[in-house]
Amino acid sequence: MKKYLFIFKTEFINSLQYVKSFIVGSLSLILIIYIYLNLWNFLYSDPESLINGYSYTQMIWYILFTETLWSCIKGRKIVRDISTDVKNGNIAYQMNKPYNYINYILSKTFADFTFKLLILLPAAIVLGHILIGNIPNFNLLGCLLAIITGILGTMVNVLICISIGLLSFFMEDAAPIYWIYSKVILVIGTLFPIEFMPEIIQPVLKYSPIFAMNYGPAKLFVDFNYDFLIKVLISQVIYLIVFYIITNLVYKKGVKNINVNGG
Amino acid sequence: MSVIEVKNLSKTFKSKVKGKGLKGSIKSIFKPKYKTIKAVNKVSFNVEKGEMVAFIGPNGAGKSTTIKMLTGILYPDNGDIKILGLDPRKNRKKLAYEIGTVFGQKEQLWTHLTPYDNFKFFGAIYDMKDYEIEKKIEELKALFELDEFINTPVKSLSLGQRIRCEIACSLINDPKILFLDEPTIGLDPVVKENIRSFIKRMNKECHTTVFLTSHDVGDIEKLCKRVIIINNGTVVLDDTMENLKYHYLNKKIIDAKMKEKINLDDEKGIKILKDKGYNLKIEVDLKEKNISDAIKLLDPDKIIDINISNTPLEEIISDIYKKDK
Ligand SMILES: Nc1ncnc2c1ncn2[C@@H]1O[C@H](COP(=O)(O)OP(=O)(O)OP(=O)(O)O)[C@@H](O)[C@H]1O
Ligand SMILES: [Mg+2]
Repeated sequence: MKKYLFIFKTEFINSLQYVKSFIVGSLSLILIIYIYLNLWNFLYSDPESLINGYSYTQMIWYILFTETLWSCIKGRKIVRDISTDVKNGNIAYQMNKPYNYINYILSKTFADFTFKLLILLPAAIVLGHILIGNIPNFNLLGCLLAIITGILGTMVNVLICISIGLLSFFMEDAAPIYWIYSKVILVIGTLFPIEFMPEIIQPVLKYSPIFAMNYGPAKLFVDFNYDFLIKVLISQVIYLIVFYIITNLVYKKGVKNINVNGG
Repeated sequence: MSVIEVKNLSKTFKSKVKGKGLKGSIKSIFKPKYKTIKAVNKVSFNVEKGEMVAFIGPNGAGKSTTIKMLTGILYPDNGDIKILGLDPRKNRKKLAYEIGTVFGQKEQLWTHLTPYDNFKFFGAIYDMKDYEIEKKIEELKALFELDEFINTPVKSLSLGQRIRCEIACSLINDPKILFLDEPTIGLDPVVKENIRSFIKRMNKECHTTVFLTSHDVGDIEKLCKRVIIINNGTVVLDDTMENLKYHYLNKKIIDAKMKEKINLDDEKGIKILKDKGYNLKIEVDLKEKNISDAIKLLDPDKIIDINISNTPLEEIISDIYKKDK
């Protein structure tokens, strides 16, 4: 465990040097929120009305929450880095060191994520207050619990990204798979809550990783209640275990027939 | 006690062959052609504790492939490996605590971190305590003279500095066996000499077993008492350095400066390497002709200066490489 804490610490310190470029990069979040603000403003002709159970304020805070988490994780980079490690055989050179590659990537990614979240989340909350006012039914404990589920949900997302990256063991290019994955997640759960999807697929979605990853935590953030919290936590624990096992299995199978470059 | 035991180790690579041009590329999508290369073929040897062994051979002989299998980076197709009694296939993690590896052509350090942070990191992954790590870093810093750049990110180091850090880092866990794949590649003679003396000292003081590949005859001659030569994936020679020199040293080179021009032709046991009138260079095969007869051919009265030398090790080795082509 100590080794992974060390990786976390080192990578965290390391990411401090990129603070400026990260802040500049996340200015786009303001633009995105501004666009959705206008879009939903148009759809909610009456600001008091509800669409699929969400008020206008809830909707904007929902997107703000999911977009903030999404901006703190560079899924494409995770997939690309792992693919490179697999393709050039680097991953094999890490095999004869006593640490687990999956845990290494997790610690590294989480260091980066923590650093970004510490900057972006307060910024997003301030931004939300300026643009649309208070979080609906605000209660501090609920808000903190929702943020914790948001972090757990991100962990599910990262594990899925790692598995996609590891698919490079078996295929030429894993990037298209990630592209599809990221678009699905963006539309379902990030920009639109599950209630906005066609009714027939809603039950499926409610048992899918999307429930654990972004929909569940964001819904808690705008409409907190303990029953829902328990549901979200249960699905997160299950998906964390499932995907942790899957990534490790894919890794184990992959390294057996890896082709290390000559030299 | 044997710390490395290898028996009938084999590895075959399968790689896609692509035809020429667009037509070839399209063809290879539908009907991929594969070429198999027997990179390592039934290799067997043992290495004793504390030995320094040179594992040499021409490019593509299978040296790196063998080292990768010994250290658990590649899975062998066939054969048995026991490193300190452990099978790298089954006990990779356990073995990792006991060995160190350096690949001259592949950085294992995290290039965005400083050497110091790398040492801390690798110390941590070997479950060392903080004070143990600090103590070891001090030791390695002195041994490898890293003071100047221990806090510079690895990506900004020169090749020589980086390799010094790589070797130092591979020693952080006090390995019992050190595997070095071309550790002195691309280094200047002074740094090479330094690294050799570091390795030598470590072997002497800590009894670390060293298994090394190199194309630099200096590394081999100065460090190793034993040589294993591999060619086309098979071991062609496994002997002490002394025997290698003794058995293959049946040739002498005579370099002579003459007062007058003399006429000399190739004959049994004599090969003219250079004949520039007054300056002569001939190779004598001692199995065919003894050295005094050879000197007599030159007419000793006319010699101004003479130099008789052994065939350099480099040539002995390249002769062996060529013979087994
Ligand atoms: N990943 C791979 N895929 C296909 N063939 C490979 C691969 N790695 C090595 N080979 C082949 O296996 C043979 C042995 O390669 P290896 O790298 O072990 O040689 P080497 O003895 O280390 O040579 P060098 O001195 O040039 O480093 C070569 O013919 C090489 O082309
Ligand atoms: Mg090699």
